[in-house]
Amino acid sequence: MSARDISADVLLGLAAAVVLASCLGLVMMRDVYTRLHYLTPISLVAPVLVAVAVGVRMGLRENTAETWLALLVLAIVGPYLTHATIRAARVREKGDWRPGSSRQPGERRRPAGGGAAAAGATGPVSGGAPGRGEEAQ
Amino acid sequence: MSAFVLTAIAMLVGIIPCGIVLCRGTLMDALVAYEAISSIMVMVLVLLAQGFQRPGEFELPVVLAVLLLGSGLVFVWALERWL
Repeated sequence: MSARDISADVLLGLAAAVVLASCLGLVMMRDVYTRLHYLTPISLVAPVLVAVAVGVRMGLRENTAETWLALLVLAIVGPYLTHATIRAARVREKGDWRPGSSRQPGERRRPAGGGAAAAGATGPVSGGAPGRGEEAQ
Repeated sequence: MSAFVLTAIAMLVGIIPCGIVLCRGTLMDALVAYEAISSIMVMVLVLLAQGFQRPGEFELPVVLAVLLLGSGLVFVWALERWL
């Protein structure tokens, strides 16, 4: 067993440990915001460890490049999706993602132009499926 | 059995707690668990393709990783606006 094999095995073991620990953290946390902290190691740290392990073990080959492509996309998509999920959770909870907003959940954002359009926009979401604010009214 | 396959099996074990959150949590908790499971599955597919030396199966994790963005954003968008 060469040094490359040993280092690749260590990296793979670390990746598995990161995933398992993050999954346990995911199930033990109470709310969505703290759970989202444990999504980042799964979508960012573990793919980097796996990519390095594949590169160390296999060297520069076509399969290695395809592996890196998949894990690179995963590493880019993960934080973006985490941010979108936090935003959605805050909108569902507070009605707006910005701090200090007084809008109710389900209430549409007021347009910058004001006037009649603004007056109509302060109500609950209209059209399509009913908004969350309409259920309470 | 190579180290790649063993790592894939260990990562698949991690899906069990995510499945618990998916079934028992709120909608947003389930979305977080879904994103975690998708990310794990991309790595598992990569590791299995490496472990069994199947060059034809390397496209699958690439496609799944790209679709992860689209499907995740669709869920986020729906949860933010309607559900």
